[in-house]
Amino acid sequence: MKSYYDRPLLKGPHWGANVVTYLFLGGIMGGLGLISLLSDDRPEPAMKKLRKATRYTAFALAAINPPILISHLGRPERFLNMLRIVKFKSPMSLGVWGLVLYSGAAGANALRELADDGIVPSALRYVAPSATVPIQALLGAFMAGYTGVLISATAIPLWAAGKRHIPAFSVCSGAASASALATLLSTLQGNHEVIPRLERLEMAASALEIVTIADFRKRGGRATAPLFEGRVGKRLRDYTILGGIVVPFVLNAVGGAVRLPKSIDALRSIAASMLTLIGGYVLRESLIEAGKLSANDPQAAFRQPS
Amino acid sequence: MATGFFTDATLCIGCKACEVACKQWNELPSDGFEFTGNSYDNTSQLSGTTWRHVDFVERESFDESGLKTSWSMVSDVCKHCTNAGCLEACPTGAIVRNEFGSVFVQPDICNGCGYCVVSCPFGVIDLIEAVGRGDDAKKYGLATLHDDRLNDRKTAVQATGGVAGKCSLCFDRQRVGMVPACAKACPTESIQFGEIEELHERAKRRVETLQERGVEARLYGADDIGGGIGALNAFFLLTESPEAYNLPVEPVLPSTRQTMGYAAAAAAALTLATIGWAIFRGDA
Ligand code: SF4
Ligand code: SF4
Repeated sequence: MKSYYDRPLLKGPHWGANVVTYLFLGGIMGGLGLISLLSDDRPEPAMKKLRKATRYTAFALAAINPPILISHLGRPERFLNMLRIVKFKSPMSLGVWGLVLYSGAAGANALRELADDGIVPSALRYVAPSATVPIQALLGAFMAGYTGVLISATAIPLWAAGKRHIPAFSVCSGAASASALATLLSTLQGNHEVIPRLERLEMAASALEIVTIADFRKRGGRATAPLFEGRVGKRLRDYTILGGIVVPFVLNAVGGAVRLPKSIDALRSIAASMLTLIGGYVLRESLIEAGKLSANDPQAAFRQPS
Repeated sequence: MATGFFTDATLCIGCKACEVACKQWNELPSDGFEFTGNSYDNTSQLSGTTWRHVDFVERESFDESGLKTSWSMVSDVCKHCTNAGCLEACPTGAIVRNEFGSVFVQPDICNGCGYCVVSCPFGVIDLIEAVGRGDDAKKYGLATLHDDRLNDRKTAVQATGGVAGKCSLCFDRQRVGMVPACAKACPTESIQFGEIEELHERAKRRVETLQERGVEARLYGADDIGGGIGALNAFFLLTESPEAYNLPVEPVLPSTRQTMGYAAAAAAALTLATIGWAIFRGDA
Protein backbone atom coordinates (compact mmCIF):
# COMPACT_ATOMS: atom_id res chain seq x y z
CA MET A 1 0.00 0.00 0.00
CA LYS A 2 1.31 3.41 -0.97
CA SER A 3 1.98 5.96 1.72
CA TYR A 4 4.51 8.59 2.70
CA TYR A 5 6.68 6.58 5.10
CA ASP A 6 3.42 5.75 6.89
CA ARG A 7 3.35 9.27 8.33
CA PRO A 8 -0.07 10.52 9.46
CA LEU A 9 -1.81 12.60 6.81
CA LEU A 10 -4.17 14.36 9.21
CA LYS A 11 -3.75 16.22 12.47
CA GLY A 12 -5.64 14.69 15.37
CA PRO A 13 -7.75 16.52 17.93
CA HIS A 14 -6.00 18.33 20.78
CA TRP A 15 -8.89 17.48 23.05
CA GLY A 16 -8.66 15.83 26.44
CA ALA A 17 -10.71 15.15 29.55
CA ASN A 18 -12.30 18.61 29.68
CA VAL A 19 -13.81 18.25 26.22
CA VAL A 20 -14.98 14.71 27.03
CA THR A 21 -16.66 16.04 30.18
CA TYR A 22 -18.23 18.87 28.21
CA LEU A 23 -19.71 16.45 25.67
CA PHE A 24 -20.94 14.14 28.42
CA LEU A 25 -22.61 16.88 30.46
CA GLY A 26 -24.03 18.43 27.29
CA GLY A 27 -25.77 15.13 26.58
CA ILE A 28 -27.20 15.00 30.10
CA MET A 29 -28.43 18.59 29.84
CA GLY A 30 -30.23 17.58 26.68
CA GLY A 31 -31.92 14.59 28.31
CA LEU A 32 -32.94 16.62 31.36
CA GLY A 33 -34.73 19.03 29.04
CA LEU A 34 -36.86 16.14 27.82
CA ILE A 35 -37.65 14.81 31.32
CA SER A 36 -38.52 18.32 32.49
CA LEU A 37 -41.02 18.52 29.62
CA LEU A 38 -42.46 15.05 30.27
CA SER A 39 -43.04 15.78 33.96
CA ASP A 40 -44.37 19.28 33.34
CA ASP A 41 -47.73 20.40 34.66
CA ARG A 42 -48.76 17.11 36.30
CA PRO A 43 -50.86 17.03 39.45
CA GLU A 44 -49.07 14.11 41.18
CA PRO A 45 -46.66 15.29 43.92
CA ALA A 46 -44.05 12.75 42.78
CA MET A 47 -44.03 14.23 39.28
CA LYS A 48 -43.76 17.69 40.72
CA LYS A 49 -40.74 16.66 42.73
CA LEU A 50 -39.12 15.11 39.64
CA ARG A 51 -39.85 18.21 37.62
CA LYS A 52 -38.14 20.40 40.17
CA ALA A 53 -35.15 18.06 40.48
CA THR A 54 -34.57 18.03 36.72
CA ARG A 55 -34.90 21.79 36.38
CA TYR A 56 -32.53 22.64 39.20
CA THR A 57 -30.00 20.07 37.98
CA ALA A 58 -30.22 21.26 34.38
CA PHE A 59 -29.57 24.80 35.49
CA ALA A 60 -26.64 23.74 37.65
CA LEU A 61 -25.11 21.88 34.71
CA ALA A 62 -25.69 24.88 32.46
CA ALA A 63 -23.60 26.87 34.93
CA ILE A 64 -20.80 24.29 35.20
CA ASN A 65 -20.38 23.45 31.54
CA PRO A 66 -19.21 26.77 30.07
CA PRO A 67 -16.12 27.00 32.33
CA ILE A 68 -15.25 23.43 31.33
CA LEU A 69 -15.53 24.39 27.67
CA ILE A 70 -13.48 27.52 28.21
CA SER A 71 -10.73 25.60 30.00
CA HIS A 72 -9.86 23.66 26.84
CA LEU A 73 -9.14 26.73 24.75
CA GLY A 74 -5.57 27.64 23.90
CA ARG A 75 -6.47 31.24 24.79
CA PRO A 76 -9.30 31.00 27.35
CA GLU A 77 -9.48 34.77 27.80
CA ARG A 78 -10.75 34.95 24.23
CA PHE A 79 -13.78 32.74 24.82
CA LEU A 80 -16.10 35.63 24.06
CA ASN A 81 -14.74 35.76 20.50
CA MET A 82 -17.10 32.86 19.83
CA LEU A 83 -20.00 35.22 20.50
CA ARG A 84 -19.00 37.77 17.90
CA ILE A 85 -20.59 35.76 15.08
CA VAL A 86 -23.24 33.13 14.38
CA LYS A 87 -22.04 30.67 11.78
CA PHE A 88 -24.48 28.09 10.46
CA LYS A 89 -21.72 26.12 8.75
CA SER A 90 -19.85 25.64 12.04
CA PRO A 91 -21.39 23.24 14.60
CA MET A 92 -18.93 24.64 17.13
CA SER A 93 -20.40 28.10 16.64
CA LEU A 94 -24.02 26.92 16.67
CA GLY A 95 -23.25 24.80 19.72
CA VAL A 96 -22.00 27.73 21.73
CA TRP A 97 -25.15 29.66 20.89
CA GLY A 98 -27.20 26.56 21.72
CA LEU A 99 -25.49 26.46 25.11
CA VAL A 100 -26.18 30.15 25.74
CA LEU A 101 -29.87 29.85 24.79
CA TYR A 102 -30.28 26.59 26.69
CA SER A 103 -28.85 28.21 29.78
CA GLY A 104 -31.37 31.01 29.40
CA ALA A 105 -34.30 28.62 29.11
CA ALA A 106 -33.00 26.42 31.94
CA GLY A 107 -32.54 29.54 34.07
CA ALA A 108 -36.12 30.65 33.40
CA ASN A 109 -37.46 27.24 34.34
CA ALA A 110 -35.36 27.07 37.48
CA LEU A 111 -36.51 30.57 38.42
CA ARG A 112 -40.16 29.56 38.09
CA GLU A 113 -39.56 26.59 40.39
CA LEU A 114 -37.74 28.82 42.89
CA ALA A 115 -40.75 31.14 42.89
CA ASP A 116 -43.02 28.14 43.28
CA ASP A 117 -40.98 26.99 46.27
CA GLY A 118 -41.17 30.44 47.80
CA ILE A 119 -37.40 30.89 47.71
CA VAL A 120 -37.70 33.97 45.51
CA PRO A 121 -40.72 36.33 45.42
CA SER A 122 -43.56 34.58 43.66
CA ALA A 123 -44.08 37.54 41.34
CA LEU A 124 -40.87 36.46 39.59
CA ARG A 125 -42.83 33.51 38.24
CA TYR A 126 -44.27 35.81 35.61
CA VAL A 127 -40.83 36.78 34.36
CA ALA A 128 -40.43 33.22 33.13
CA PRO A 129 -43.18 32.17 30.72
CA SER A 130 -44.07 28.49 30.64
CA ALA A 131 -43.15 28.36 26.95
CA THR A 132 -39.56 27.98 28.15
CA VAL A 133 -40.31 24.34 29.03
CA PRO A 134 -40.74 23.04 25.46
CA ILE A 135 -38.05 25.48 24.36
CA GLN A 136 -35.60 23.98 26.82
CA ALA A 137 -36.54 20.50 25.58
CA LEU A 138 -35.93 21.52 21.96
CA LEU A 139 -32.63 23.21 22.73
CA GLY A 140 -31.78 20.16 24.84
CA ALA A 141 -32.27 17.86 21.87
CA PHE A 142 -29.94 20.14 19.97
CA MET A 143 -27.38 20.12 22.80
CA ALA A 144 -27.34 16.32 22.92
CA GLY A 145 -27.10 15.98 19.14
CA TYR A 146 -24.85 18.77 17.96
CA THR A 147 -21.78 17.33 19.66
CA GLY A 148 -22.19 14.29 17.43
CA VAL A 149 -22.55 16.49 14.35
CA LEU A 150 -19.55 18.53 15.51
CA ILE A 151 -17.21 15.58 15.51
CA SER A 152 -18.57 13.87 12.39
CA ALA A 153 -18.26 17.11 10.38
CA THR A 154 -14.47 16.81 10.50
CA ALA A 155 -11.84 15.11 8.37
CA ILE A 156 -11.08 12.41 10.98
CA PRO A 157 -12.00 9.17 9.14
CA LEU A 158 -13.65 7.44 12.11
CA TRP A 159 -15.82 10.42 12.96
CA ALA A 160 -16.61 11.17 9.33
CA ALA A 161 -17.70 7.59 8.74
CA GLY A 162 -20.20 8.02 11.60
CA LYS A 163 -22.04 11.01 10.18
CA ARG A 164 -25.42 9.32 10.83
CA HIS A 165 -24.55 6.99 13.69
CA ILE A 166 -22.57 9.28 15.99
CA PRO A 167 -25.19 12.07 16.24
CA ALA A 168 -27.93 9.46 16.76
CA PHE A 169 -26.21 7.52 19.52
CA SER A 170 -25.03 10.74 21.15
CA VAL A 171 -28.67 11.74 21.60
CA CYS A 172 -29.57 8.29 22.95
CA SER A 173 -26.63 8.23 25.33
CA GLY A 174 -27.54 11.71 26.59
CA ALA A 175 -31.15 10.66 27.24
CA ALA A 176 -30.06 7.45 28.99
CA SER A 177 -27.55 9.31 31.18
CA ALA A 178 -30.11 11.98 32.06
CA SER A 179 -32.64 9.31 33.04
CA ALA A 180 -29.97 7.63 35.14
CA LEU A 181 -29.09 10.90 36.85
CA ALA A 182 -32.78 11.64 37.51
CA THR A 183 -33.23 8.11 38.89
CA LEU A 184 -30.25 8.60 41.15
CA LEU A 185 -31.58 11.93 42.45
CA SER A 186 -35.10 10.54 42.92
CA THR A 187 -33.75 7.52 44.82
CA LEU A 188 -31.78 9.78 47.12
CA GLN A 189 -34.85 12.01 47.58
CA GLY A 190 -37.00 8.97 48.38
CA ASN A 191 -39.21 9.84 45.42
CA HIS A 192 -39.67 6.18 44.48
CA GLU A 193 -42.89 6.55 42.52
CA VAL A 194 -41.27 8.09 39.45
CA ILE A 195 -38.45 5.58 39.24
CA PRO A 196 -40.19 2.86 37.16
CA ARG A 197 -41.01 5.42 34.49
CA LEU A 198 -37.50 6.87 34.46
CA GLU A 199 -36.04 3.41 34.20
CA ARG A 200 -38.27 2.53 31.29
CA LEU A 201 -37.18 5.68 29.51
CA GLU A 202 -33.58 4.77 30.20
CA MET A 203 -34.11 1.27 28.83
CA ALA A 204 -35.64 2.64 25.63
CA ALA A 205 -32.77 5.09 25.13
CA SER A 206 -30.11 2.45 25.86
CA ALA A 207 -31.73 -0.04 23.51
CA LEU A 208 -31.73 2.47 20.67
CA GLU A 209 -28.15 3.41 21.57
CA ILE A 210 -26.78 -0.13 21.47
CA VAL A 211 -28.55 -0.89 18.18
CA THR A 212 -27.04 2.22 16.60
CA ILE A 213 -23.55 1.45 17.91
CA ALA A 214 -23.83 -2.13 16.64
CA ASP A 215 -24.90 -0.88 13.22
CA PHE A 216 -21.93 1.51 13.16
CA ARG A 217 -19.63 -1.36 13.98
CA LYS A 218 -21.14 -3.51 11.24
CA ARG A 219 -20.20 -0.83 8.71
CA GLY A 220 -16.69 -2.05 9.44
CA GLY A 221 -13.61 -1.14 7.50
CA ARG A 222 -10.49 0.72 8.31
CA ALA A 223 -12.19 3.90 9.40
CA THR A 224 -14.17 2.46 12.31
CA ALA A 225 -11.52 -0.01 13.54
CA PRO A 226 -9.93 2.37 16.12
CA LEU A 227 -13.20 2.58 18.06
CA PHE A 228 -13.89 -1.14 18.22
CA GLU A 229 -10.45 -2.72 18.33
CA GLY A 230 -7.44 -2.56 20.60
CA ARG A 231 -7.26 -0.73 23.90
CA VAL A 232 -10.05 1.74 23.13
CA GLY A 233 -12.28 -1.02 21.79
CA LYS A 234 -11.84 -3.06 24.95
CA ARG A 235 -12.65 -0.11 27.18
CA LEU A 236 -15.71 0.72 25.12
CA ARG A 237 -16.88 -2.89 25.30
CA ASP A 238 -16.33 -3.24 29.05
CA TYR A 239 -17.54 0.11 30.33
CA THR A 240 -20.08 1.27 27.76
CA ILE A 241 -21.54 -1.77 26.01
CA LEU A 242 -21.51 -4.26 28.89
CA GLY A 243 -21.21 -2.13 32.01
CA GLY A 244 -23.08 0.91 30.74
CA ILE A 245 -25.87 -0.61 28.67
CA VAL A 246 -26.36 -4.39 29.06
CA VAL A 247 -25.97 -4.69 32.84
CA PRO A 248 -28.13 -1.62 33.71
CA PHE A 249 -30.73 -2.80 31.20
CA VAL A 250 -30.95 -6.17 32.96
CA LEU A 251 -31.04 -4.49 36.39
CA ASN A 252 -33.82 -2.16 35.24
CA ALA A 253 -35.75 -5.05 33.68
CA VAL A 254 -35.50 -7.00 36.95
CA GLY A 255 -36.68 -3.94 38.86
CA GLY A 256 -39.67 -3.65 36.56
CA ALA A 257 -40.60 -7.33 36.77
CA VAL A 258 -39.92 -8.35 40.37
CA ARG A 259 -40.93 -6.63 43.60
CA LEU A 260 -37.74 -6.34 45.60
CA PRO A 261 -37.52 -5.21 49.23
CA LYS A 262 -37.24 -1.43 49.34
CA SER A 263 -33.62 -1.12 50.41
CA ILE A 264 -32.40 -3.70 47.91
CA ASP A 265 -34.41 -2.01 45.18
CA ALA A 266 -32.81 1.32 46.00
CA LEU A 267 -29.37 -0.25 45.75
CA ARG A 268 -30.32 -1.78 42.41
CA SER A 269 -31.44 1.61 41.09
CA ILE A 270 -28.30 3.32 42.29
CA ALA A 271 -26.04 0.66 40.78
CA ALA A 272 -27.83 0.75 37.44
CA SER A 273 -27.72 4.54 37.32
CA MET A 274 -24.05 4.80 38.22
CA LEU A 275 -23.10 2.21 35.62
CA THR A 276 -25.10 4.01 32.93
CA LEU A 277 -23.41 7.32 33.77
CA ILE A 278 -19.93 5.77 33.67
CA GLY A 279 -20.78 4.11 30.37
CA GLY A 280 -21.92 7.43 28.93
CA TYR A 281 -18.68 9.12 29.92
CA VAL A 282 -16.54 6.33 28.52
CA LEU A 283 -18.47 6.44 25.24
CA ARG A 284 -17.47 10.08 24.69
CA GLU A 285 -13.95 9.43 25.88
CA SER A 286 -13.57 6.47 23.50
CA LEU A 287 -14.82 8.56 20.60
CA ILE A 288 -12.20 11.23 21.22
CA GLU A 289 -9.35 8.79 21.89
CA ALA A 290 -10.22 6.64 18.88
CA GLY A 291 -10.38 9.83 16.82
CA LYS A 292 -6.74 10.49 17.67
CA LEU A 293 -5.78 6.98 16.52
CA SER A 294 -7.86 7.36 13.38
CA ALA A 295 -6.06 10.58 12.46
CA ASN A 296 -2.76 8.70 12.58
CA ASP A 297 -3.78 6.18 9.92
CA PRO A 298 -2.94 7.67 6.52
CA GLN A 299 -4.57 4.79 4.64
CA ALA A 300 -7.95 5.74 6.11
CA ALA A 301 -7.42 9.38 5.13
CA PHE A 302 -6.41 9.04 1.47
CA ARG A 303 -10.01 8.40 0.42
CA GLN A 304 -12.24 10.25 2.86
CA PRO A 305 -15.80 9.17 3.72
CA SER A 306 -18.40 11.13 1.75
CA MET B 1 -7.92 38.74 -8.49
CA ALA B 2 -6.91 35.60 -6.59
CA THR B 3 -3.28 34.70 -6.24
CA GLY B 4 -1.72 31.39 -5.38
CA PHE B 5 1.14 28.95 -5.75
CA PHE B 6 1.98 26.49 -8.49
CA THR B 7 4.49 24.03 -7.04
CA ASP B 8 6.22 21.79 -9.56
CA ALA B 9 7.71 18.49 -8.38
CA THR B 10 9.82 18.11 -11.51
CA LEU B 11 11.80 21.23 -10.70
CA CYS B 12 12.32 20.75 -6.97
CA ILE B 13 15.88 19.87 -5.96
CA GLY B 14 15.04 19.38 -2.28
CA CYS B 15 17.18 22.25 -1.02
CA LYS B 16 14.55 23.37 1.56
CA ALA B 17 15.27 27.03 0.86
CA CYS B 18 11.49 27.57 0.97
CA GLU B 19 11.25 26.11 4.47
CA VAL B 20 14.06 28.33 5.70
CA ALA B 21 12.81 31.49 3.98
CA CYS B 22 9.33 30.94 5.43
CA LYS B 23 10.64 30.41 8.94
CA GLN B 24 12.78 33.51 8.70
CA TRP B 25 10.20 35.86 7.24
CA ASN B 26 7.38 34.73 9.49
CA GLU B 27 9.61 34.39 12.55
CA LEU B 28 8.51 30.83 13.16
CA PRO B 29 10.31 28.94 15.89
CA SER B 30 11.91 25.56 15.39
CA ASP B 31 9.81 22.42 15.89
CA GLY B 32 12.86 20.66 17.25
CA PHE B 33 15.08 18.20 15.42
CA GLU B 34 14.26 14.58 14.96
CA PHE B 35 16.31 12.33 12.71
CA THR B 36 13.64 10.33 10.93
CA GLY B 37 15.63 8.19 8.54
CA ASN B 38 12.99 8.93 5.91
CA SER B 39 15.22 9.95 3.01
CA TYR B 40 16.32 13.56 3.59
CA ASP B 41 13.06 14.58 5.24
CA ASN B 42 13.55 15.48 8.87
CA THR B 43 10.80 18.09 8.85
CA SER B 44 8.17 15.35 8.48
CA GLN B 45 5.05 17.45 8.28
CA LEU B 46 3.48 20.88 8.13
CA SER B 47 2.64 22.28 11.55
CA GLY B 48 1.44 25.41 13.26
CA THR B 49 4.97 26.75 12.98
CA THR B 50 6.14 24.99 9.80
CA TRP B 51 4.32 26.35 6.78
CA ARG B 52 6.38 24.78 3.98
CA HIS B 53 7.49 21.16 4.08
CA VAL B 54 9.53 19.44 1.39
CA ASP B 55 8.42 15.86 0.72
CA PHE B 56 11.18 13.43 -0.32
CA VAL B 57 9.78 10.46 -2.19
CA GLU B 58 12.71 8.09 -2.51
CA ARG B 59 12.58 4.84 -4.45
CA GLU B 60 15.18 2.19 -5.04
CA SER B 61 15.10 -0.38 -7.79
CA PHE B 62 17.45 -2.91 -9.38
CA ASP B 63 17.99 -3.56 -13.04
CA GLU B 64 20.90 -4.78 -15.25
CA SER B 65 22.84 -1.62 -14.59
CA GLY B 66 22.62 -2.09 -10.82
CA LEU B 67 20.98 -0.20 -7.98
CA LYS B 68 18.98 2.80 -9.05
CA THR B 69 17.67 5.47 -6.73
CA SER B 70 14.97 7.85 -7.88
CA TRP B 71 13.81 10.93 -6.05
CA SER B 72 10.79 13.08 -6.39
CA MET B 73 10.59 16.11 -4.16
CA VAL B 74 7.85 18.65 -3.78
CA SER B 75 7.25 21.46 -1.31
CA ASP B 76 3.91 21.01 0.45
CA VAL B 77 1.93 23.97 1.76
CA CYS B 78 -1.58 25.02 2.79
CA LYS B 79 -3.81 24.58 -0.27
CA HIS B 80 -5.85 27.76 0.25
CA CYS B 81 -8.94 25.78 -0.76
CA THR B 82 -11.82 27.37 -2.68
CA ASN B 83 -14.12 25.90 -0.01
CA ALA B 84 -11.89 25.59 3.04
CA GLY B 85 -12.77 23.20 5.84
CA CYS B 86 -10.78 25.22 8.38
CA LEU B 87 -12.51 28.48 7.48
CA GLU B 88 -16.00 26.98 7.66
CA ALA B 89 -15.32 25.31 11.01
CA CYS B 90 -13.83 28.29 12.82
CA PRO B 91 -16.38 29.49 15.44
CA THR B 92 -14.72 32.84 16.11
CA GLY B 93 -14.41 34.01 12.52
CA ALA B 94 -10.64 34.17 13.01
CA ILE B 95 -10.13 32.45 9.67
CA VAL B 96 -11.12 34.65 6.75
CA ARG B 97 -10.60 34.89 3.02
CA ASN B 98 -8.55 37.96 2.30
CA GLU B 99 -8.46 40.24 -0.72
CA PHE B 100 -5.95 37.95 -2.45
CA GLY B 101 -8.33 35.00 -2.21
CA SER B 102 -6.10 33.30 0.39
CA VAL B 103 -7.30 31.66 3.58
CA PHE B 104 -5.89 33.72 6.44
CA VAL B 105 -5.83 33.10 10.22
CA GLN B 106 -6.14 36.31 12.25
CA PRO B 107 -4.02 35.45 15.28
CA ASP B 108 -5.61 38.13 17.44
CA ILE B 109 -9.11 36.65 17.01
CA CYS B 110 -8.33 32.92 17.30
CA ASN B 111 -9.04 31.47 20.73
CA GLY B 112 -7.33 28.14 20.17
CA CYS B 113 -10.40 25.91 20.18
CA GLY B 114 -8.69 23.57 17.73
CA TYR B 115 -11.75 22.87 15.61
CA CYS B 116 -10.03 23.98 12.40
CA VAL B 117 -7.29 21.41 13.04
CA VAL B 118 -9.60 18.42 12.67
CA SER B 119 -11.55 20.10 9.88
CA CYS B 120 -8.75 20.42 7.34
CA PRO B 121 -8.99 17.53 4.84
CA PHE B 122 -5.27 17.93 4.09
CA GLY B 123 -3.96 17.87 7.67
CA VAL B 124 -2.35 21.29 7.28
CA ILE B 125 -3.37 23.68 10.06
CA ASP B 126 -2.35 22.95 13.65
CA LEU B 127 -2.32 24.61 17.04
CA ILE B 128 0.86 26.30 18.13
CA GLU B 129 1.77 25.16 21.60
CA ALA B 130 1.09 27.85 24.16
CA VAL B 131 4.42 29.26 25.16
CA GLY B 132 5.39 31.65 27.85
CA ARG B 133 7.31 34.82 27.32
CA GLY B 134 10.62 36.07 28.57
CA ASP B 135 12.71 33.22 29.94
CA ASP B 136 10.08 30.68 29.13
CA ALA B 137 10.06 31.74 25.52
CA LYS B 138 13.80 31.21 25.30
CA LYS B 139 13.31 27.67 26.42
CA TYR B 140 11.20 27.08 23.34
CA GLY B 141 13.80 28.53 21.03
CA LEU B 142 12.09 31.85 20.57
CA ALA B 143 15.18 33.84 21.48
CA THR B 144 15.53 34.91 17.87
CA LEU B 145 12.26 36.83 17.90
CA HIS B 146 12.56 40.58 17.95
CA ASP B 147 11.48 41.98 21.28
CA ASP B 148 8.84 44.20 19.76
CA ARG B 149 7.11 41.19 18.23
CA LEU B 150 7.54 39.13 21.33
CA ASN B 151 5.77 41.81 23.33
CA ASP B 152 3.10 42.59 20.79
CA ARG B 153 0.42 40.08 21.58
CA LYS B 154 -1.55 41.27 18.60
CA THR B 155 0.74 40.24 15.80
CA ALA B 156 3.28 37.88 17.21
CA VAL B 157 1.49 34.57 16.74
CA GLN B 158 4.57 32.63 17.57
CA ALA B 159 5.40 34.66 20.65
CA THR B 160 2.42 33.58 22.67
CA GLY B 161 1.05 30.46 21.01
CA GLY B 162 -2.17 28.79 22.01
CA VAL B 163 -3.59 29.71 18.63
CA ALA B 164 -3.81 28.03 15.23
CA GLY B 165 -1.12 28.57 12.62
CA LYS B 166 -0.62 27.88 8.94
CA CYS B 167 0.66 29.50 5.73
CA SER B 168 -0.66 33.04 5.27
CA LEU B 169 0.45 33.12 1.65
CA CYS B 170 2.61 35.97 2.94
CA PHE B 171 -0.33 38.31 3.32
CA ASP B 172 1.97 41.02 4.66
CA ARG B 173 4.38 40.76 1.73
CA GLN B 174 1.58 40.62 -0.84
CA ARG B 175 0.09 43.81 0.55
CA VAL B 176 3.21 45.73 -0.32
CA GLY B 177 3.56 44.03 -3.70
CA MET B 178 6.21 41.51 -2.74
CA VAL B 179 6.35 37.86 -3.74
CA PRO B 180 5.89 35.34 -0.87
CA ALA B 181 9.17 34.42 0.81
CA CYS B 182 9.22 30.78 -0.30
CA ALA B 183 8.62 31.55 -3.98
CA LYS B 184 11.24 34.30 -3.81
CA ALA B 185 13.82 31.97 -2.31
CA CYS B 186 13.18 28.94 -4.53
CA PRO B 187 16.27 28.71 -6.78
CA THR B 188 14.64 26.58 -9.50
CA GLU B 189 11.23 28.27 -9.69
CA SER B 190 9.68 25.03 -8.55
CA ILE B 191 7.48 27.31 -6.45
CA GLN B 192 5.80 29.87 -8.67
CA PHE B 193 3.62 32.63 -7.32
CA GLY B 194 1.11 34.60 -9.34
CA GLU B 195 -2.46 35.08 -10.39
CA ILE B 196 -4.33 31.81 -10.45
CA GLU B 197 -5.44 31.94 -14.09
CA GLU B 198 -1.98 32.64 -15.29
CA LEU B 199 -0.54 29.88 -13.12
CA HIS B 200 -3.09 27.45 -14.59
CA GLU B 201 -1.97 28.32 -18.11
CA ARG B 202 1.64 27.83 -17.18
CA ALA B 203 0.91 24.55 -15.42
CA LYS B 204 -0.98 23.13 -18.39
CA ARG B 205 1.82 24.06 -20.77
CA ARG B 206 4.32 22.48 -18.39
CA VAL B 207 2.37 19.21 -18.25
CA GLU B 208 2.23 19.09 -22.04
CA THR B 209 5.97 19.64 -22.36
CA LEU B 210 6.71 16.98 -19.77
CA GLN B 211 4.35 14.46 -21.34
CA GLU B 212 6.00 15.03 -24.72
CA ARG B 213 9.27 14.10 -23.05
CA GLY B 214 7.70 10.94 -21.68
CA VAL B 215 7.45 12.12 -18.08
CA GLU B 216 4.37 11.02 -16.21
CA ALA B 217 3.14 14.39 -14.98
CA ARG B 218 -0.24 15.30 -13.52
CA LEU B 219 -1.75 18.31 -11.83
CA TYR B 220 -3.19 18.11 -8.34
CA GLY B 221 -5.81 20.67 -7.38
CA ALA B 222 -5.66 22.87 -10.49
CA ASP B 223 -9.23 21.86 -11.31
CA ASP B 224 -12.04 20.99 -8.92
CA ILE B 225 -10.63 18.30 -6.65
CA GLY B 226 -14.08 16.98 -5.70
CA GLY B 227 -15.69 16.36 -2.34
CA GLY B 228 -17.13 19.88 -2.37
CA ILE B 229 -13.72 21.51 -1.94
CA GLY B 230 -13.36 22.98 -5.42
CA ALA B 231 -10.01 23.96 -6.88
CA LEU B 232 -6.95 24.68 -4.75
CA ASN B 233 -5.30 28.08 -4.89
CA ALA B 234 -2.04 26.32 -4.11
CA PHE B 235 -1.86 23.46 -6.59
CA PHE B 236 0.85 21.02 -7.59
CA LEU B 237 2.45 19.19 -10.48
CA LEU B 238 3.25 15.66 -9.37
CA THR B 239 4.99 12.70 -10.97
CA GLU B 240 3.65 10.07 -8.60
CA SER B 241 0.19 9.39 -7.25
CA PRO B 242 -0.92 11.78 -4.48
CA GLU B 243 -0.53 9.19 -1.67
CA ALA B 244 3.21 9.07 -2.31
CA TYR B 245 3.39 12.71 -1.17
CA ASN B 246 0.93 12.20 1.69
CA LEU B 247 -1.83 14.01 -0.18
CA PRO B 248 -5.39 12.68 -0.11
CA VAL B 249 -6.70 11.15 -3.34
CA GLU B 250 -10.32 11.91 -2.51
CA PRO B 251 -10.48 14.71 0.07
CA VAL B 252 -13.94 15.70 1.30
CA LEU B 253 -15.16 19.02 2.69
CA PRO B 254 -16.27 18.10 6.25
CA SER B 255 -19.23 20.49 6.42
CA THR B 256 -21.00 18.50 3.68
CA ARG B 257 -21.86 15.89 6.31
CA GLN B 258 -23.77 18.25 8.58
CA THR B 259 -27.26 18.01 7.11
CA MET B 260 -27.24 14.23 7.45
CA GLY B 261 -25.89 14.51 10.99
CA TYR B 262 -28.56 16.93 12.19
CA ALA B 263 -31.25 14.80 10.52
CA ALA B 264 -30.03 11.66 12.30
CA ALA B 265 -29.91 13.47 15.65
CA ALA B 266 -33.43 14.85 15.12
CA ALA B 267 -34.77 11.40 14.21
CA ALA B 268 -33.29 9.89 17.38
CA ALA B 269 -34.61 12.75 19.53
CA LEU B 270 -38.09 12.50 18.04
CA THR B 271 -38.20 8.74 18.59
CA LEU B 272 -37.17 9.08 22.23
CA ALA B 273 -39.57 11.96 22.84
CA THR B 274 -42.46 9.88 21.48
CA ILE B 275 -41.53 6.88 23.63
CA GLY B 276 -41.04 9.15 26.63
CA TRP B 277 -44.44 10.75 26.10
CA ALA B 278 -46.07 7.31 26.07
CA ILE B 279 -44.22 6.27 29.24
CA PHE B 280 -44.87 9.47 31.21
CA ARG B 281 -48.13 10.79 29.89
CA GLY B 282 -49.72 7.83 28.11
CA ASP B 283 -52.33 7.63 30.86
CA ALA B 284 -53.19 11.32 30.89
S1 SF4 C 1 -5.54 23.15 3.11
FE1 SF4 C 1 -6.49 23.00 5.14
S2 SF4 C 1 -5.66 24.73 6.28
FE2 SF4 C 1 -5.31 25.17 4.08
S3 SF4 C 1 -7.15 26.32 3.41
FE3 SF4 C 1 -7.56 24.15 2.95
S4 SF4 C 1 -8.68 23.46 4.79
FE4 SF4 C 1 -7.65 25.37 5.39
S1 SF4 D 1 -8.36 27.29 16.78
FE1 SF4 D 1 -8.62 29.48 16.22
S2 SF4 D 1 -8.62 29.51 13.97
FE2 SF4 D 1 -8.95 27.37 14.61
S3 SF4 D 1 -11.20 27.12 14.65
FE3 SF4 D 1 -10.59 27.70 16.75
S4 SF4 D 1 -10.77 29.92 16.81
FE4 SF4 D 1 -10.79 29.35 14.62
